[in-house]
Amino acid sequence: MLEEILKSIVEMEEEEAVKKAKEYLDGGGDPQKLLEVCRDAMGEVGSRFEKGEYFLSELILGGEIFRQIMEFTLPKLQSGSVKKIGKIVLGTVKEDVHNIGKDIFKVFAEASGFEVIDLGIDTPEEKFVEAVKEHKPDIVGMSCLITAGVTSMKKTVDKLKEAGLRDSVKIIIGGGRVDESVKEFAGADAWADDAAKGVRLCKQLIGVEG
Amino acid sequence: MVSNAKELAEKRMARLMAAINLEEPDKVPLAGVGGDIVPAYAGISMYEYCYDVEKAVKATEKFIKDFPCDWPFAASVVGLDGRVFNVAFSEFPDICINLTFITGPMHDALGDKYYRYPGREISPDSSPQFIGGAFMEADEYDKLIADPVKFIAETVLPRACRNLETPRKAMAAMVRLGREISNFNALMGQIVGKMIENGYPAMALGGAYAPLDLIGDFLRGVENLLLDIRRCPEKVKAAAEALVEPIMNYALAHKSIGANLAFIPLHLNEYLSPKLYKEFYWPTLKEVIERLVKEGFKVMVFFEGKHDAHLETILELPKGWGVAYFEKTDVVKAKEVLKGHTCVMGGIPMGLIVGGTPAQIDEYVKNLLEKVKPGGGFILAPGVGTAPRETPLENIKALVEAVEKYG
Amino acid sequence: MKSPEELAKERMRRIEAAVNLEEPDRVPFSGVGGDVIAAYAGITQEEFCFDYKKAKEAIVKFNRDFPCDWTFAAGFVGVGVPPLTYAFADDPDVSATVGMAMFGTIHDITGDVCTRYPGREIESNCSPQFIGGKFMEVEEYDDLIENPVKFIAEVIIPRICRNMNTPRKAMAAMIRLGIEAEKIKSFAMEVGMELAKLGYPSIPITLGYTPLDLIGDGLRDELNLILDLRRYPDKVRKACEALVEPILKVGLALKPLGIKYAFIPLHLNEYLSPELYNEFYWPYLKEVIMGFAKEGIKSFVFFEGRHDAHLETILELPKGWGIAYFEKTDVRKAKEILKGHTCVMGGVPISLIVSGTPEKIDSYVKELLEEVKPGGGYILATSVGIAPKETPVENIKALIEAVEKYGKY
Ligand code: B12
Repeated sequence: MLEEILKSIVEMEEEEAVKKAKEYLDGGGDPQKLLEVCRDAMGEVGSRFEKGEYFLSELILGGEIFRQIMEFTLPKLQSGSVKKIGKIVLGTVKEDVHNIGKDIFKVFAEASGFEVIDLGIDTPEEKFVEAVKEHKPDIVGMSCLITAGVTSMKKTVDKLKEAGLRDSVKIIIGGGRVDESVKEFAGADAWADDAAKGVRLCKQLIGVEG
Repeated sequence: MVSNAKELAEKRMARLMAAINLEEPDKVPLAGVGGDIVPAYAGISMYEYCYDVEKAVKATEKFIKDFPCDWPFAASVVGLDGRVFNVAFSEFPDICINLTFITGPMHDALGDKYYRYPGREISPDSSPQFIGGAFMEADEYDKLIADPVKFIAETVLPRACRNLETPRKAMAAMVRLGREISNFNALMGQIVGKMIENGYPAMALGGAYAPLDLIGDFLRGVENLLLDIRRCPEKVKAAAEALVEPIMNYALAHKSIGANLAFIPLHLNEYLSPKLYKEFYWPTLKEVIERLVKEGFKVMVFFEGKHDAHLETILELPKGWGVAYFEKTDVVKAKEVLKGHTCVMGGIPMGLIVGGTPAQIDEYVKNLLEKVKPGGGFILAPGVGTAPRETPLENIKALVEAVEKYG
Repeated sequence: MKSPEELAKERMRRIEAAVNLEEPDRVPFSGVGGDVIAAYAGITQEEFCFDYKKAKEAIVKFNRDFPCDWTFAAGFVGVGVPPLTYAFADDPDVSATVGMAMFGTIHDITGDVCTRYPGREIESNCSPQFIGGKFMEVEEYDDLIENPVKFIAEVIIPRICRNMNTPRKAMAAMIRLGIEAEKIKSFAMEVGMELAKLGYPSIPITLGYTPLDLIGDGLRDELNLILDLRRYPDKVRKACEALVEPILKVGLALKPLGIKYAFIPLHLNEYLSPELYNEFYWPYLKEVIMGFAKEGIKSFVFFEGRHDAHLETILELPKGWGIAYFEKTDVRKAKEILKGHTCVMGGVPISLIVSGTPEKIDSYVKELLEEVKPGGGYILATSVGIAPKETPVENIKALIEAVEKYGKY
């Protein structure tokens, strides 16, 4: 059964996957195991994407299937029983309103065990600083789809420095407008313009094997 | 002669204002003629005058230059009364004041059945015509009374305007209408510019009208309305009352352009017996005028046709309320009745200008002014401003000179 | 010194040679624009979006100081309400005016919820934002298919535009739109005249859309649409089919102005696997491109994001069909594949201009041109024309100089 669920998710069979997952739980299946299977499936979707076999539409649909299954699975899990491997404060940077890429990354990060605090879009520098103070994350993730966001990222990193918080977190940037030169300009630790790679890098940044 | 345009304009303005304020100016002010003669004098067709901005401006300029007067009130307008649109858009001050005149291009944008324009429904040489029509049924009074603006905008206009038949078509028509408003404003801007250059006062004119006229001209048609007055008098009365508010909204919207004179042309007055006039027409018209006066406006009412039967009612208005412009009513009699209370305007029968000779005109003006000049409060004007194409130019000249001589 | 007319002719020849797959005297350069224009003139984005006079002055100043061959990106780049233009597909004279109307002044009139403007919903120095939204339910695909223009005009527009949500408000807003459109028209004409004085050729452009993008941007929202592709493929396909005609009508409405190019920015291309691309996206895009071609208009397609997976499909178009402007696709590779068939445009990552140095830019352009210059058929441009306000001006200068230095044939 779990094997089939995994296959349905990976093959993008939306209805099948959701139906089987429901049946599995209704039949007394272990929600913890279901969660793990879903995560594996998402990992596989991500790696197919990295290999160029899958495209954004599959990432989005995969995320949607995952979301639907989690809707009825998460409440069944005992709180605390879901082990988190790290905490990410994530947001689309100031002046940028694109959220699709960020949301995909979020789903994949969550699917691989991160706790993600989502600050939304058009996030002012100060809001990142406050969120770091409040949530003490391992990683700050910034999503940037427009060039105006490049300077927003630099300013955010500078503000974190000013607040003396820069060394307490790793910073990863992502989204369509980032590359190596932007990473250096902004003063981030890593960059990824694909969600799967981004998750892999996050694990590396906090020393968890990917 | 003229020292400069600005001074001349100030002089003319002072002359007009003195008359309106019931005083004696240095000379009797003359409101000029306009109409078909304006394009004819410039050698362009009526169609060109209505549709070609550049030519219209040139024609107007030429006319006001060659036939000077104190107030070229009639010479500057190239559109027809858009009252139904004023009410339909009365919630939107910025828009309704732009629909006082429906120009040829606006008429094209709307595809309405109210007007006929040269080069469209009628020959390129005819002057634009208002034909009106019945676009509301007798059993719809309740809807009109309940929410006149909604009823007119959403029910009547789609019937009366081909291009407003469906919401989708209406969207496009409205954009086009906006474009034409913008063109018309540019045209008026240019005309005002020319007036200022030629020493005319730039007077922003507001507008309002008699509620009952709107029902007659744009909703029910005059004949139907006259029957309605007999058949369902209470509804007609209530409808006229319901229209006061939107008409006021339209009228007061002109404050934003600094207008302090509101023009009200009347239509149905002549059709009604004093009894009907007093019952159905006058009360709401009076309310509109009084409210305008309270808001600081002077009102200029154009009493079309013969208003003799209703002259006394004017005295119910507060003294100095504005200008009573008469078409066929005898101004000598009117002046007598209204002296010291209302500024009287008019006096020259258009027939005289069209069919008379310069000598006759001279003589006529001399006699007339002898009677109406004393005490001021009088503006000389043709009974209707619109002079036909064939008007002999020397007659217009004679009029101008006669005022100079006897005014 | 060349006269402005001569200069304009020279620039035009350069661009046209490239489009016609020939070698011009130098690689044509399409300039940068965007937020930096207002910033350089010292005005806020709010002023840039709401004050025609200031916007005009800023555009002229920028193009005077940062010359290029083609000011495509260096004009006014506002955001609008895409469905609004298509609501007028059956009224070409209207769609022609409303299509250009992407100013803050228009946003005030429509009260639309799919854009945000500086000094209104956002700070006065942010650039205007298109945020889109979902304005159509799945159940409504049939209505869209049956009569797309009517559906968009009568159902969608009242949902998007707060000032058009009752019949009367809509009428008033439309009149205001018409009044404002005239102002925008004179603004555009004045800008054109000023640019002509600076020796810029006039290259009027019309707009095209890929049907699927129109559904994504203006009706269903991208994310929902991606899911619709799997859940209701037939409906989506039929909707795309139905939208081709209105899209072409709107694009061709500007034909009387002597339009030579139709700009078609792509959005969802990057999202789709070749399978989905070939099923839902490309056939209709191709139809639009061919529809323009039939009327003598070349398409100027902006392939946003990475188009690598779909590059070969471009070869299905007739040789010399137009311009393929690439954002993140490697233009070297694209040039390789499309050589002798399609004019390629792009090549310089905008991030390099924002965060690089003049030296880095110089050497980047040198290397790039060595590879893509030979044989012509290439227009140099930044990956995205929109340069943020903090873009160092010396980097823009460096880019201009580098093209001059290494671009000669
Ligand atoms: C869809 C889209 C939109 C949608 C957005 C819908 C939404 N809710 O997000 C709408 C239509 C609303 C929109 C609006 C605008 N857009 Co837009 N838009 C796009 C488009 C076509 C796709 C973006 C996208 O979602 N890609 C798919 C996602 C999944 O990819 P991604 O973001 O790269 O994310 C992946 C990875 O990068 C990674 N990732 C993402 N975030 C993060 C974060 C971290 C930490 C990590 C590790 C990884 C990671 O994971 C994702 C999955 O692999 C792009 C073109 C393009 N192809 O990039 C233009 C584009 C981004 N938009 C652009 C512009 C200019 C605009 C507008 C200004 C308006 C306009 N002119 O219409 C407005 C935005 C205003 C603003 N200030 O933000 C430009 C930006 C130009 C620039 N350089 O500045 C682009 C590049 C188009 C272009 N070439 O001109 N847009």
